[in-house]
Amino acid sequence: MKGKYKYLLRMQMYNLFGINRLIHSRGKQDKQRSAIVAVLGLAAIAILIVYTTKFSNSMALAGLSEALPTLMVVVCSLATLTLTFVKSTGVLIGLKDYDMVMSMPVNTISIVTSRVTLLYLTNLIISFIAMLPSSIIYIWYERPPICSYLFLAGALFLTPIIPMIISLSLGVLIVAVSSRSRHKNIFSLVLSTAAVLMIVFASAKTQSMDKAQITNLGMAIAETVNKFYPPAVLFTNALLHNDLVGFAIFAAVSLLSGIAFVTIVSHYYKTLNTAVFSHYAKKDYKIGALKSSSPFMALYKKELHRLSSCTIYALNSCIGIVLLLVVASFAVFFMPSTLRQQAEVMGIMSVIQNIMPIALAVFVSMTSTTAASLSLEGKNRWIMCSVPTQARTVYNSKIAVNLTVILPVLYVSVIFIRTAIPSSLMQTVLMFLIPTVYAFSISVLGIYLNIKFPKYDWTSEYYAVKGGAISVLATVVIGMASSLTPLYLCIIFPHYQMIIMLGITCLILLATLAIYHKVCQTQLYV
Amino acid sequence: MNNVLEIKNYTKVYSGNKKAVDSLNLTVKAGEIHAFIGHNGAGKTTTIRAVVGIMDFDEGEILINGHSVKDEPVKCKSMTAYIPDNPDLYDYVTGIQYLNYMCDMFSVPAKERVPRIQKFADVLKLTDRLGDLISSYSHGMKQKLALIGAFIHSPHLLVLDEPFVGLDPEASFHLKKMMRELCDAGAAIFFSTHVLEVAEKLCDKVTIINNGKLIESGTMEEIKGSHSLEDVFMEVVENERQV
Repeated sequence: MKGKYKYLLRMQMYNLFGINRLIHSRGKQDKQRSAIVAVLGLAAIAILIVYTTKFSNSMALAGLSEALPTLMVVVCSLATLTLTFVKSTGVLIGLKDYDMVMSMPVNTISIVTSRVTLLYLTNLIISFIAMLPSSIIYIWYERPPICSYLFLAGALFLTPIIPMIISLSLGVLIVAVSSRSRHKNIFSLVLSTAAVLMIVFASAKTQSMDKAQITNLGMAIAETVNKFYPPAVLFTNALLHNDLVGFAIFAAVSLLSGIAFVTIVSHYYKTLNTAVFSHYAKKDYKIGALKSSSPFMALYKKELHRLSSCTIYALNSCIGIVLLLVVASFAVFFMPSTLRQQAEVMGIMSVIQNIMPIALAVFVSMTSTTAASLSLEGKNRWIMCSVPTQARTVYNSKIAVNLTVILPVLYVSVIFIRTAIPSSLMQTVLMFLIPTVYAFSISVLGIYLNIKFPKYDWTSEYYAVKGGAISVLATVVIGMASSLTPLYLCIIFPHYQMIIMLGITCLILLATLAIYHKVCQTQLYV
Repeated sequence: MNNVLEIKNYTKVYSGNKKAVDSLNLTVKAGEIHAFIGHNGAGKTTTIRAVVGIMDFDEGEILINGHSVKDEPVKCKSMTAYIPDNPDLYDYVTGIQYLNYMCDMFSVPAKERVPRIQKFADVLKLTDRLGDLISSYSHGMKQKLALIGAFIHSPHLLVLDEPFVGLDPEASFHLKKMMRELCDAGAAIFFSTHVLEVAEKLCDKVTIINNGKLIESGTMEEIKGSHSLEDVFMEVVENERQV
């Protein structure tokens, strides 16, 4: 079993991050593209490491170095929990190579273990980013005994397991439940969105509590964390009190949860996949009247079908705008009036009113269906390339879908926020205008980057949408940078808010027009 | 008979300076079924992809009814129908939605859609499954759906890459009939195949390609004479190998 597990894992790793393509591709363009992907990936990792190091160092300088282990476990766990959730079905169930893999003389436990191992290895990257700098700073400031080094090293490898298993279990459960429904995609999408919102709000709640308590007493974090995530406490106690038994329990719980998950999923693997791959068939269809549309509308409708058919795609690309609606609904229906009054008394209400357009743009710039839309054509792309329409029409249809996702939700959210936070006419107009420019910008940027970095050779949509999909990653990073930078500048230079917001929005609009012009000149080939 | 497809000095160079196709010349006239045969990696799919405008090429010219594939791609595509060797279709739409999508893309008049779909779907025994998602289709059913999508807009040029792979005998029989009917109506068909018996029975002309170079091209009688196409193909390829 061990040998075959190894082969299965190796075959999956060939497709991870395009490493195999980088090594074996003969094309200069392919090599260049892979090199850019590698450089961008490494740069992102470096930035995150610098950020974690700076944060941990400032914690230590504030005399809170003892709280670092708990905090790093919490950060790593939350990041793993959120990031693994969307991968759960795409990596485990319903893969395009299911038939091939299952027909091989290999047991399901090897298949599931190889898939979970790959996920674990990618989560290890998060673990090292979140925990390694903090561990070094903890050692530097606390000078713990030798056994603590072992605990810290062990935690680097063990911490991602439990949150990963929780997320995977949730994902598999959703597949199991939704596969019984005729409209399994919609059902899965609704359940998954609810689960992601739950995870995001739970983590936001935990984080806000941490921050409040950090300012008072670092060790109080452990108490808060204890309520939400007991394994972190097991590890903290082991580290602070040299409790070998506590660490052994932490390790045992982590490993056993992994083993239990693999065993259970392996048992039901065939059943789950059969449910996913089996389809409702009526077999008594009669052709009725057919509505005709323009090529653009036909492409647009097809894109909408694509979005609603793929849970990972919809969830990953639309979560930003869904969050905005939730936040806006919260603001109008649940925001306590005392909070509003307090903001007015503190004099920050006017700041909030002024920066609101760009704050809305942050959510908008997280939403790009276009960044993966070309990649998702996958092996179907011969159709897109061979139909008699300009490439521009294809791109426009994909941009239109993103705008359809963003704009109605954005405008409803603006009305909600306008109701919750009174604003002037000018502020209201800007709340509509600036995020709209960002909506166009992120849509065009997404399609441009997907043209530059397509990923057609996927075995699961997950790989086109998330795993190593540089176009998606780059779109989100650039989009967020383009909205967070003016937001940050507006807060630092409150007297120049209007100039900053309008100036940067105009620049973004010009850049978007230039990129769109370039996109329109690009032909589509297989 | 006018030339529906003209390939003039078509050359495709892949990275590493390997010539996948080298100075290929051929024409396909209206009313003609033209087989394109060669061993695996000979350059058939590379040529077909360039003809249908989904792959860029380095040298030469490809004309469809006198229009350049490079300069007027949309015009050329509107006159062409193409089915690749393994037609992956949109799994997330139903068969009828896919066909209506193809009608929209190729501007088939609304009134003519239902009769045309009905005609081809009945022949290929797919009508009662058109309301189901394509993901529930077998490989052969997807092949049939792709064929209907290709025939539905009455193309001037039908380009098929290994069209008989995956089809049941009855569907193969009907496809051959549909191909002949389309050509009789004035269209041209250019297709690749490894099934030489089918090419021999069905085609008016044949082109043999080896290592990206045209070896033989002409009417079926000119190429095979009194021999079978398989014998001729084996002999030609063997001669090339020795050269």
